[in-house]
Amino acid sequence: MDELELKQNDINEAIDTDIPLDKNVRLMSPTQMLLRRFFRSKLSIIGLVMVVGLFLFCFLGPVVYNQWGETERDPVGGVECEEAQVTTYEVDGVTYTVRGIREKPMPYNVKAGISADHLLGTDEMGHDVLTRLMYGGRVSLLVSFMTVILMTILGVIIGGIAGYFGGIADNIIMRLCDILMCLPGVPILMILSAAMDGWVEQQWIEEGMRIYILMFFLTLISWPGIARLVRGQILSLREQEYMVAAEAMGYSTARKIFKHLVPNVMPQLIVQMSLSLGSMILYEATLSYLNMGIKAPYTAWGSMINIITTNQGVLKYYPLIWVPAGVCIVIAVLGFNFVGDGLRDALDPKARR
Amino acid sequence: MLKYILKRIGYSILVLLGVSLIIYFLTRLMPIDFVKNKVVSVQTSGATVTEDMVSKMYESYGLSASSSFGDIMKGYLNWLKDLCKFDLGTSFKFGIPVTEKIAMHMGWSFLVALIATIFEFMIAIPLGITAATHQYSLRDYIVTILVMIGISLPAFFFGNVLKNWLSYQLGWFPDVGIKNATVDYTGLNMIVDYARHLFIPVLTVVILSIGARMRMTRTNMLEVMNSDYIRTARAKGLKESVVINKHAFRNTLIPLVTSLAGLLPSLFSGAIITEQVFDLPGIGNIALQAMQAGDIPFIMGYNMFLAVLSVIGVLLADLMYAIVDPRVKLQ
Repeated sequence: MDELELKQNDINEAIDTDIPLDKNVRLMSPTQMLLRRFFRSKLSIIGLVMVVGLFLFCFLGPVVYNQWGETERDPVGGVECEEAQVTTYEVDGVTYTVRGIREKPMPYNVKAGISADHLLGTDEMGHDVLTRLMYGGRVSLLVSFMTVILMTILGVIIGGIAGYFGGIADNIIMRLCDILMCLPGVPILMILSAAMDGWVEQQWIEEGMRIYILMFFLTLISWPGIARLVRGQILSLREQEYMVAAEAMGYSTARKIFKHLVPNVMPQLIVQMSLSLGSMILYEATLSYLNMGIKAPYTAWGSMINIITTNQGVLKYYPLIWVPAGVCIVIAVLGFNFVGDGLRDALDPKARR
Repeated sequence: MLKYILKRIGYSILVLLGVSLIIYFLTRLMPIDFVKNKVVSVQTSGATVTEDMVSKMYESYGLSASSSFGDIMKGYLNWLKDLCKFDLGTSFKFGIPVTEKIAMHMGWSFLVALIATIFEFMIAIPLGITAATHQYSLRDYIVTILVMIGISLPAFFFGNVLKNWLSYQLGWFPDVGIKNATVDYTGLNMIVDYARHLFIPVLTVVILSIGARMRMTRTNMLEVMNSDYIRTARAKGLKESVVINKHAFRNTLIPLVTSLAGLLPSLFSGAIITEQVFDLPGIGNIALQAMQAGDIPFIMGYNMFLAVLSVIGVLLADLMYAIVDPRVKLQ
């Protein structure tokens, strides 16, 4: 009640002081309203901070922390410890395990711990982990971004055509969607990756291209989600009066679809893109983890974890080598999910606040 | 009803035809020389690949012929013909028919997935309901954040972290495998041994998948709680617990049961990453090994198998929806 009275007072004042009413009211565009609702949620802010922070870390990080190059190996000789023998004794019913450790001199400073030279230590090849994390993040983030953008473009065009024209075009496209949605994700990429082994052997492509081709193929099979969303929206929008007006103005079909219909789908599209970014980062990381990723001297977050599939010792005793990459992946995915969720809530007209 | 089911099955077969076309052409992207080399290398590595198997494969995949379009189509039709007879060819790596190999290992995948799904539903549903009934409370936020973290964890990373922590650091559970290889347990001890081996994998799967289920429960519960008949129930003066458990929850069950029906077939499909991390004898792990060995018949067969499972899942979910919700009319 108080609030209402206050507002009433404001209005009275406005009338009293001869200032035109529209100068007294702050008009907000839909975008402003959306942003305001978005920033009201703490989770979306946290998500945004995580995403922006990671981008700064990956793209500006190497400028600040430029002690080591991406593929530079620390040439100071180091030692590598490996488990030599495990003996178990049993004294008075208590079992003691004694692990012998053998130190092996190495030409590079490998598997080093945290020091002033290497803030996160070095990996099994003598690369600086923190530096690799930054450069690897560039690959992971860029590949995922490209994938999502391409996927959205494809989805919008195909979904737009299906929704606007309907009829046979719609039928064919929707059946195609059904087929593509039945394709298993990682297993189908396994076939392609196996095929690519052959291409590499025949020297048709370079090994380093693999992850880009795999992710490109992933866009080719993952647009149906976006296409369905766009189609559904356009089906309901094209019956509205403003479209009749656009028709009467004699606009071209492309203009009607891409200038009048697609912008109205934009909000849902952005939410979908933000959530897809998270899943694409996961996809890329999983492929890299399964050794289908970028080639050896270069790296990506998933590839940095790949070492533990072959080297039990790293998994057990050198968490510094693989855990930071995993943490980065989690932060990236979590950040995009929080942002996407926040956007969705901000866009939901039914939301109470 | 029967007419609807038949129509849907016919449509599913069309979808599968499309899927098989894509899988076949992807496989045909392999250079023929590479396939030949692969076969030779598998033969020299001591696997049981007979000349007969190789020539049959070349014939059914149309690989021996040149790669003109007509030959590829002929190869596809041959492969499709075998597929209709449930003959997926013989696996190079394992030396037995692909269907047999899949049947041998899908049981393990199903076991892990089934246990995980039971826990998932048991934990996610109550969490989802409390989050919905206490919307915007601290409880809602905590549950939402935890669940979001669960969704965002990569399976390979989280699985390895759990393995490292619970198995290597604390030594509470065995790290890999499905049973103790050195000791043959019987009876109750055997079950305990299996349970100890399956604990970490199941925990991994549950934590990763619980989020989606919880959100689904929460969203549906919120929707139901805003409907008119809940207001009526409250206006009648019913206790809040009765309103939630008897009126609201029962309607939230509709999408849950539907999704469970859709989920059932996929329980057989195997979790590639989890099974790889914990070296379980499930179908996903086998498929990964097959891929690394370039076992073409197996990978193709596995992909087809997964597509069939997901088609059945969609079909079951639609039918279940009509059964559970009497308002839905099938046409």
